[in-house]
Amino acid sequence: MSEYFRKYIKKEHYANHYSNLKFKTSFRNCILEAFKRRLWKETEGDDWDIMWAEKEWIHEVLDHTHLQSNQKINHFRNHYELTRKDLMIKNFKRYKKNLEREGKQEEANNYNFFPLTFHLPSEYPIFFEEFKRQSTNSDTKTAWIMKPIGKSQGKGIFIFNKIQQISQWKNTLRYNQDNPQAEAYIVQKYIADPLLIGGKKFDMRIYLLCTSYQPLTLYLYRTGFARFTHHRYDSEDISNTYVHLTNVAIQKTSDNYDEKLGGKWNLQTLKLYLMTKYGQEKVAETFYNIQMLMIRSLQAVQKIIINDKHCFELYGFDILLDAQLKPWLLEVNASPSMTSNTPVDFELKCGLLDDVFTIIDLEKVLTGNEEQIGGFDLICKGNPIKLPINSTFTTYLGAFNNRQQQLKKIAKSTAIRLAQTYQESQTKAIEIGSKGQKEKEEKDKQMRSSSKGPQVMQNGGNGNNKPNNLTKQNTIIKRNTTNLPALGTVQNKNNIKRQPLQNAGQQQQQNQQSQSNSSKKNNPNEDSMLSANQKLQKLTQESKINQFQPYKQQSQYNEVMGMGVVSRNLQKNEE
Amino acid sequence: MQQLDNQEILMKLKSQKQFWDIKKKIKQGFNDQQKIGVNDIQKFAQSCEIEDQLIKLISHILKKSKKRETLKEDQIEFLNTSKIKWTELLFKNLDIVHQKTKNQEEDDTNTDSKLYIYDEKNLLAFLQTFKQQQSNTLYQNVQFQSNKILNINIPLKSSQSILDKYQYLLLQEELSDEKINKIRKQIENEHLDIELEKIAQTFVPNGERCLLYLKYFEFDHQDTVLQQHFAKLQKECLNQLFYDELLEIDGHEISEDTFYFVFQEQILTCLKCFIRDRTIKENIRIQLQSGIKKEHAEFQLPITGFFPFKNISKYVAPLCYLSTKIHIIYALFKEFFCRYFCFLHSISSESNSILSLCMQIEEIVSTRSPKLFHHLKIIGCDTLKLIIHQLVYCFIGDMDPPHILTIYDQIIGHDSLEILVILCVGFLNKYKSKLLLAKNQENVQQIFSELREDRFQELVQYAYKQ
Repeated sequence: MSEYFRKYIKKEHYANHYSNLKFKTSFRNCILEAFKRRLWKETEGDDWDIMWAEKEWIHEVLDHTHLQSNQKINHFRNHYELTRKDLMIKNFKRYKKNLEREGKQEEANNYNFFPLTFHLPSEYPIFFEEFKRQSTNSDTKTAWIMKPIGKSQGKGIFIFNKIQQISQWKNTLRYNQDNPQAEAYIVQKYIADPLLIGGKKFDMRIYLLCTSYQPLTLYLYRTGFARFTHHRYDSEDISNTYVHLTNVAIQKTSDNYDEKLGGKWNLQTLKLYLMTKYGQEKVAETFYNIQMLMIRSLQAVQKIIINDKHCFELYGFDILLDAQLKPWLLEVNASPSMTSNTPVDFELKCGLLDDVFTIIDLEKVLTGNEEQIGGFDLICKGNPIKLPINSTFTTYLGAFNNRQQQLKKIAKSTAIRLAQTYQESQTKAIEIGSKGQKEKEEKDKQMRSSSKGPQVMQNGGNGNNKPNNLTKQNTIIKRNTTNLPALGTVQNKNNIKRQPLQNAGQQQQQNQQSQSNSSKKNNPNEDSMLSANQKLQKLTQESKINQFQPYKQQSQYNEVMGMGVVSRNLQKNEE
Repeated sequence: MQQLDNQEILMKLKSQKQFWDIKKKIKQGFNDQQKIGVNDIQKFAQSCEIEDQLIKLISHILKKSKKRETLKEDQIEFLNTSKIKWTELLFKNLDIVHQKTKNQEEDDTNTDSKLYIYDEKNLLAFLQTFKQQQSNTLYQNVQFQSNKILNINIPLKSSQSILDKYQYLLLQEELSDEKINKIRKQIENEHLDIELEKIAQTFVPNGERCLLYLKYFEFDHQDTVLQQHFAKLQKECLNQLFYDELLEIDGHEISEDTFYFVFQEQILTCLKCFIRDRTIKENIRIQLQSGIKKEHAEFQLPITGFFPFKNISKYVAPLCYLSTKIHIIYALFKEFFCRYFCFLHSISSESNSILSLCMQIEEIVSTRSPKLFHHLKIIGCDTLKLIIHQLVYCFIGDMDPPHILTIYDQIIGHDSLEILVILCVGFLNKYKSKLLLAKNQENVQQIFSELREDRFQELVQYAYKQ
């Protein structure tokens, strides 16, 4: 949690302190809560550092706005290339074809995770041929699903297995043929043998964060959930949408919707179930396939999406498992629902968003090389990241979400690193200051005039936290420190190192003092500084103790089980 | 008991895969020889353990042909009379429940979700009455020094022997993939009870458990039979019974458990079929209630011969993690109940009965952790009251499904419920330090209402901690 960062990192060590950050959003759900929890300030104006915008805003405003270099926004300009049902399929098909053309048949064959799809009305004739072929080839009637493009939450979706069933739809379309607003649909072959649990159909919602398309940088969230329908699955009864659609928005309207559990399992529970039923290997394979499916989906649009350093995007993948545990991609959502229906759900989403914000790193405290941040694991940076061979995991998806421990650990190590760089820069600043002093003395001696020395001192010794100043100092240091030995005894050096909080100018004065007296004068502030230093040491030790054990040593199975209990008991408590 | 003649044994032998394997082996052994004498075969069989295998196979067939009869009468007379009393008590409870439901029908707003005929606390309270009865009538001259809740003179296994029996669980290591694959193959090819029990005792890989259970219960080639049987019962469910309502209420609790809410509907269907299943009466190993015929039709025992009780759904729930087919879940549940769980609700001196298990637990805790035992006694929260829920419901709801299934494995592996004694002792030991600090019942309740996570292996280890 970001609170660990606030706890461990000193205010002056932040490149960009959280109290200076401003957010803007029109959402009033978990998003607002997650922003507030980071103690960022809300703004109505254009002075935001991060904006969680609705998709429409991106389309209407983003193209006409110039963003400041520090501003971040939660969508890519043309995200619809991936998140609109028809374009997604079109891009996948095109990418697959390109791969085939390049002779990469094997990789092309991996693009088999979406059902046979046609765009209507434009591809109606091909669809009709296919429909006839399918119905004559198989004894049972193949079912097809019609989805309106650009509508969400299951609106307008219907299933049919007779061509007459869409004739009504077709007629209205024909009638409106000249009407450019005629609603476009896609028609997909319905996956008729979904995996059923408790006799119910379900799909999975999995979160993927993309921070860049060049290089493709993807973080996968360990926790997601399985959403169940409330009625027993019946492949014959195609008119009952409750049976077939898992969208919470649809299931909420069902009579026996269970408010307490929201008809959901978290991914850990689902994995536990699958492992018990099918064994570890099969499930590990399935979850790895899901991860690869997600990476491949983004690779397919990597060259199409306009990369922008201001943009990041949190995708909600909807994935269905069939009875053979093969994953199918149903849809990618650019703005997955951040409204919660249970307290557990609320915490999950707030935690998820908090981790997104940590990765975006507006405070500029991270290195960018972290492999895990909170519940997110880096799965792709340019190329898919492969886990060590001896690791029992093929993917961390659905593994125990250790975000609290991990954030604590990462906050500690970050605090230490920042404190060290801060100290170094301070020390060097003093060195420059001292060097300036020496120059001054020399110049005084030689020319009996003071000119640039003090200015250098001032520049170097202001102890400002701003990053540009830091870099300035560094460059000066690089130029100067090599030849000139630092003034002051070792003792003095130690003293300096114990003064991380001290204004460099002050330090320099003290330095001068101690130098001129050439004695070990005790610093009045030393006690407090010592304790600060001890604190730091303690922190270092603690972080060593708490060093995270590599996952391979833990049994994946136990991990998953551990999580399950916690969540269940939590739920019990909340009741 | 019915006896098989030689011809029948041979017929049954021929239906076993192992028989043909042995025959093939013998044939291979005498590949080139034209004339084979009986003596040659005997010698050969002895030399390569074929004889042993055959003996095992035949004894297995004989054992299977023996039908276990339902225990109706107990060796100890006063338990028989107690059972009648228990049944009468339950009939009274049934009357009350019946009245309540009628009232509810009139007043929709006041729905009591706690409608049940009896729960584990009622059962324990009833068992507790035994002590007084016995000391009043049979053992008037004997001074009972012990603080135990239950102190009845029934034949008991020594608690040390139980501890010794399960001690091997402490030494279990994580198996390599190679070994796990070997076990998988073994489960696929094995048919003998003893061998399957051995596997269940040590380790059952996930994904193979269902097959092992089905084989052990001899359901492995009966899919269609099970399906038809279940379909028939489902048809019967169309006629509403009064007990259906109780089962529906019972299902609500399971619907609040994250792990099982998805299966609520399946569990209810299974139970509705269960109380209509005529074959249970013949298959169940012990009669739970002594049937008294009452005149009113609605006040009669279900066809099963016993009342559904509170949380009966819990026994079905973990089995939903084994198969997606409901008729398989039902068949497994039925067999588990008829073979094992029925003893948890029986007034009997059998070694698996709730009475024996409770006494074993008290015995172990009072000898190995006397301080805890007496402390609990003093604060008015007896040992048994603490663990009765876990004991009667096999820790279902307290542990994650895979751990529960490990308990089921052990039950099959040893054909006994004694593993529950070990786990209950471990459970108490785990919270021993906290319990010793508790000053009253509320403190104790607080300890168990806190977030906790119990695991099979962990509790076993605690059980052996001194």
